[in-house]
Amino acid sequence: MPHPMPPGEVTRRDFVGMLGASAALAGLVGCTREPREEILPYVDTALDALPGTARQYATAMTIDGYATGLLVTTRDGRPLKIEGNPLHPSSHGAAGVMHQASILQLYDPDRARTCRIGPRDVRWEALLAALRPDQLLPRVGARGVGLSFLLEPTSSPLHVAMIDAVRTRYPECSVHYFAALGHEQVVRGCQLAFGRAAIPYHDLSRADVIVSLGADFLAAGPDHLHLAHDWSVRQARDPKPLLFVAEPVPTPTGTVAGDRVAATTAQLLQIALRLLDAAAPAAAAPVPATGLPQPLQSWCDRLAGQLQRNAVIIASPQLPASLHAAVAALNRQLDPDGTRTRYIAPPILDAGGRAHDLTDFANQLAAGQVDTLVVAAANPVYAAPGDVRLGTLMRQIPTRLYLGEYVDETAAVATHFANASHYLEAWGDSRSYDGSVLPAQPMIAPLHDGHSAAELLSAIAGDPASGRELLQRHCPDSIARDALRTGLVRGVVPQRLAVTPNIPGVREALAATVPATGTVLQLIPGHGVHDGRFAGNAWLQELPDPVTKLTWDNAAMVSPAFAAELGVASGDLLSLHLGDQLVELPALATPGMADQVVAIALGYGRRGEGILTRPIGVNVNPLRASASEFETAHVIVTRTGRRMDLAITQAHWSIEGRGDDLVDGHIPSPPATLYPPRRPAPDGFGRDQWAMTIDLARCTGCSACVVACQAENNVPVVGRTGVLQSREMHWLRIDRYIDETPGGARFTNQPMLCQHCEHAPCEYVCPVNATVHSDDGLNEMVYNRCVGTRFCSNNCPYKVRRFNWFDYTSKVSEFTLMQRNPQVTVRDRGVMEKCTFCVQRIRGAQSDAQIAGRDRTGAVQTACQQTCPTQAIQFGSLTDPDSGMTSRFADPRSFSALGALNTAPRVRYFRRHDPESPA
Amino acid sequence: MIATPLELLHARAGERARARELLAPPRLVPDRRDDAALTRDILTPLWTSDWRWWPLFGIAGLLTLLFLVAIGVTVTRGIGSWGNNIPVAWAWGITDFVWWIGIGHAGTFISAFLLLLHQHWRASINRVAEAMTLFAVMNAGMFPLLHLGRPWFFYWLAPYPATTGVWPNFLSSLTWDVAAVSTYFTVSLLFWYQGLLPDLASARDLAPTTLRRRIYGVLALGWRGSGEQWRRYRMVYLMLAGLATPLVISVHTIVSLDFAITQLPGWHSTIFPPYFVIGAIFSGIAMVLVLVIPIRRAFGLHGVITPRHLDLLSRLLLLTGSLVAYSYLTESFIGWYSGDRFERYALLTGRAAGPFAWVFWFMTAINVLVPQLFWSPRMRHNTVALFVAGLLICASMWCERFVIIVASLSRSFLPSSWHAYAPTWVDVSLLAGSIGFFFLLMFAFLRWVPSLALSEIRQLRALEQRGAA
Repeated sequence: MPHPMPPGEVTRRDFVGMLGASAALAGLVGCTREPREEILPYVDTALDALPGTARQYATAMTIDGYATGLLVTTRDGRPLKIEGNPLHPSSHGAAGVMHQASILQLYDPDRARTCRIGPRDVRWEALLAALRPDQLLPRVGARGVGLSFLLEPTSSPLHVAMIDAVRTRYPECSVHYFAALGHEQVVRGCQLAFGRAAIPYHDLSRADVIVSLGADFLAAGPDHLHLAHDWSVRQARDPKPLLFVAEPVPTPTGTVAGDRVAATTAQLLQIALRLLDAAAPAAAAPVPATGLPQPLQSWCDRLAGQLQRNAVIIASPQLPASLHAAVAALNRQLDPDGTRTRYIAPPILDAGGRAHDLTDFANQLAAGQVDTLVVAAANPVYAAPGDVRLGTLMRQIPTRLYLGEYVDETAAVATHFANASHYLEAWGDSRSYDGSVLPAQPMIAPLHDGHSAAELLSAIAGDPASGRELLQRHCPDSIARDALRTGLVRGVVPQRLAVTPNIPGVREALAATVPATGTVLQLIPGHGVHDGRFAGNAWLQELPDPVTKLTWDNAAMVSPAFAAELGVASGDLLSLHLGDQLVELPALATPGMADQVVAIALGYGRRGEGILTRPIGVNVNPLRASASEFETAHVIVTRTGRRMDLAITQAHWSIEGRGDDLVDGHIPSPPATLYPPRRPAPDGFGRDQWAMTIDLARCTGCSACVVACQAENNVPVVGRTGVLQSREMHWLRIDRYIDETPGGARFTNQPMLCQHCEHAPCEYVCPVNATVHSDDGLNEMVYNRCVGTRFCSNNCPYKVRRFNWFDYTSKVSEFTLMQRNPQVTVRDRGVMEKCTFCVQRIRGAQSDAQIAGRDRTGAVQTACQQTCPTQAIQFGSLTDPDSGMTSRFADPRSFSALGALNTAPRVRYFRRHDPESPA
Repeated sequence: MIATPLELLHARAGERARARELLAPPRLVPDRRDDAALTRDILTPLWTSDWRWWPLFGIAGLLTLLFLVAIGVTVTRGIGSWGNNIPVAWAWGITDFVWWIGIGHAGTFISAFLLLLHQHWRASINRVAEAMTLFAVMNAGMFPLLHLGRPWFFYWLAPYPATTGVWPNFLSSLTWDVAAVSTYFTVSLLFWYQGLLPDLASARDLAPTTLRRRIYGVLALGWRGSGEQWRRYRMVYLMLAGLATPLVISVHTIVSLDFAITQLPGWHSTIFPPYFVIGAIFSGIAMVLVLVIPIRRAFGLHGVITPRHLDLLSRLLLLTGSLVAYSYLTESFIGWYSGDRFERYALLTGRAAGPFAWVFWFMTAINVLVPQLFWSPRMRHNTVALFVAGLLICASMWCERFVIIVASLSRSFLPSSWHAYAPTWVDVSLLAGSIGFFFLLMFAFLRWVPSLALSEIRQLRALEQRGAA
């Protein structure tokens, strides 16, 4: 991972060291690192595989037990870029921020490189020796009473088989699952409503009204790529679907809502009750409605009038189970046939059971019967709620083994440590949210000889084998050639459950839920770092939060009104007390927040090696309680009087009344002019004329495109100090403007990248002709001609040009170098760079077309377009009738940003339709 | 003799007599002395060392070292060591460039412009002013080079016959800048050196040691003072003056076009060329005052640089200052009158109430109000007031360029791109260091080069004696 190192701090010693490493690496990079085992036989079957050409392989990435189908681009044995698998409904060809950034994780130099027993580095075999049944049996008893497992929730058939194998050997061992951001509340809500474990599976393409209660379903969660795709498909049909959002903290989904209000959890529970009353009037007198504030009341009224119009209701997995029960009952009530929402069996093993109860696990540890504890979950010592005191409990266990990718907080309390393989290094399988099985195949031999959880379990079961052998033995379907080729295991369809809601029971559960009141601490998933597992990922740390645009930190988000009440401004340090716990965080005034709520992202303040030697942000897990994991009451918030700088990429959130010119595109007809008319774009200068459209109605600001661009184009990170100085290098950024009104906040997202102006202001001011126009309409940067006057940036009205203030590219680890896309020039110190419309992909497609003898280049996808979950970005040639670009450019909704400047951009935006305003 | 319009303005009905006195050839050189005494007076500093000179030279030397360190850091680590960012891609460095170029202009204005206009009073201050020009342009020329991301490729901006066949882009004002500044430096150097020749010859003739005689002898390029030499001298001097005079206008016009050819609100303005030229002369005259007043005092040159010189300089300050104030007014008015929301924001709201509002109000207050003090003859003859006003105006003209460059860039079209700017120690060191370097050269010049135009003062004296006789 490229460390955010200010180049000034590189000493001569470092430099010479780096020089040596680079020299050594020159040989290493040339080597291919294919797995020792056969994937798809490179030599035998892939006859067209030429050195240097890109190949794509299907695999799956699993987060919290749910898989997403992916395609990985590899070149000469090096995986370089992640895309969604277009064949699989879990992605529809799109990928989220964490999938995109996971490639950097693979090459992270901070990953653990050896197994350890105590402080000693040992080999995997030596570590396994301690776990062989003949060693274990005397300690844990013949039936394994003293053996306990804490695993990441899993849906993998292979894992199921391995856990069974372990249970065969040790029938009384205990298995628990832990994920800080799991889906247990959803499953338990369904248990309350239906009497059995289930999860909702939505088909938004059939919905006319979508209601989100705190759920960021378009940009986060295991099924968000599928939901975003369906929502986008539905957007293409008139009348547009209505999106109602009530949420305590603004999310990307909230930013595209037509009707959004801020509501606390307590208010969301009341809203659920009202909606339930509206959809299923109770026989008895309805529960007397306690006072909702006026904006919420009218939001409810507006929504109640629309509920019968094919509504789908989605609630945040971080909300209490009773609310999910109400939502389940509502969805069944409004859609008895399950055409829009069907309830399916959870793919996660034992979902809703005691095995997923962390308190149960803690009690077992406290009871003192465990002799050997095996942990293969995502850093539970860090991520578990503070009141469990997992670290303290674990230290009482004589033998504690941790399988992890990093030497992290959990590794620090383990006696035995095994370094885990990355998902791109391991064989496996997993189920996606809809229950279908996806194969996972390695793209590269483990860089540090890591091993997977399945391999560890097989060893404990007394039959150590490699992941591939295990798959062949236990899940041959997952390794069938056809499955590996497509990324799908055939024959598995999601099962629809026949369930009936117990509405009175749901009402009781709702009434029995006592939400936190007063000043509430709301804990939200970190947009990039998730539960902290990606905290060492520099791309995700530098990815601006979609709403606050904060990087390299978490902050105490408060509404502007609450900030005024506390007497703080953004950047003032707040102290939060809960019992004997105290944390200090900078306040961040955020429009659109519910009042009396302090929201803090999880996943920060991690401690580890390398980049995490100094924690980034603040760990707020100590303030969490296992009873109410995402909400803490009775927190005392005070002002410390101290300040810190927040690395925010867009601190100025107002559009300053410039909406007409920027995002609404109400351009007045051009005034009379003596200038000759503009040259018509298509003819005259080149065959293809590349152009892009971006639909602002579909852009949620999720920022997957930003990371995709970074991965594709070797875009460096600049670190916290760099962002503070406004030197971030992202070629594509997402501008978000907030219109703060007394009734709430309205958000607009606008992806901003080089507009490839036909009349480019940057070009004529460059004294050395380093930025010029290509025949096919690209504004090109000639890096090796650039002397770095930066005049082009001054004259760019969109401020999309990026400057290499320091040498950002050569002083990175040898592993990070392996991620570099060889198709894209690495930029030197002192030169400008900017979006190229992925010119390497265009030229590649042109050369392919030429070789194939086609007379048209055909479709080219830019990296941002390819990964966009809502297909907000479209790219194509204006001269290619099949691309649809000409008609998109002529669409009445399309406009140019700052069109009045007559820069004639080749990027046009589609203005946003709000449901309130006539289309 | 030609009177300035201001002087004519003064000549109201009751003041005819005073006007006649003003229009009469001014007495600039006291006629008590003979040529030899005058020459000795002026050349004495070249042979005698004054202990007060060393600490000043030392301080300037230390600042020059700081300049070298800052340059070293900039070149080895990168422009990142400056405070620049995106959107403020030009900041402190370009402000320094425009400021130094502007200061240089007053020197050329005084020596060439006034020579062509037969303003003989220029004779006692033109040498210092020319040296000031030269040293200021040397400093100015360094900033655009240091400012490059890859300064080692600076020559790509020049139209040289490259094997690649790639020429500079002649549409870019930076290409014009290279031509303008290098021409200006060349002409200023020639003009200054040619004017020096007779005085170097005098120094050669009077030098007390052989070594000095040899050095000044070589530098004098064989000047003998023959009639033929003087005839050619005068012709070339006039020609160079004729070349230098339009350069005063053209160089700063082109510098202003570095901004005006863009479409950035706050830069995109047709008023920039005259506005910049006037501002340049204004700041340059302020710098002349800052230099001349202490020199006059230190070397006891009250007889050569007379109160009348200072009076005339302060009138120029008043004139150019008023024109600058008028430019400010026009700029703001057009900003409002354009009806363009971006222009209005950049020129009115952004400057007056933006993050750099205090710089804007400081520079407006100083540049508009301070020159107006010099309507009063008492103020025009108060050397302390003139010196302080000169210092303030120099600082404030730096702020003016800072406001134009940084305030416009930091808040342009897209509010999403708005970002503040803060300089680093390298930025500050480059400015302080360049001032140190300027004074280092200036002190060296005062110590080793005839700093007053000896031959011209002698001619002026002769002229006045003839007039008196």
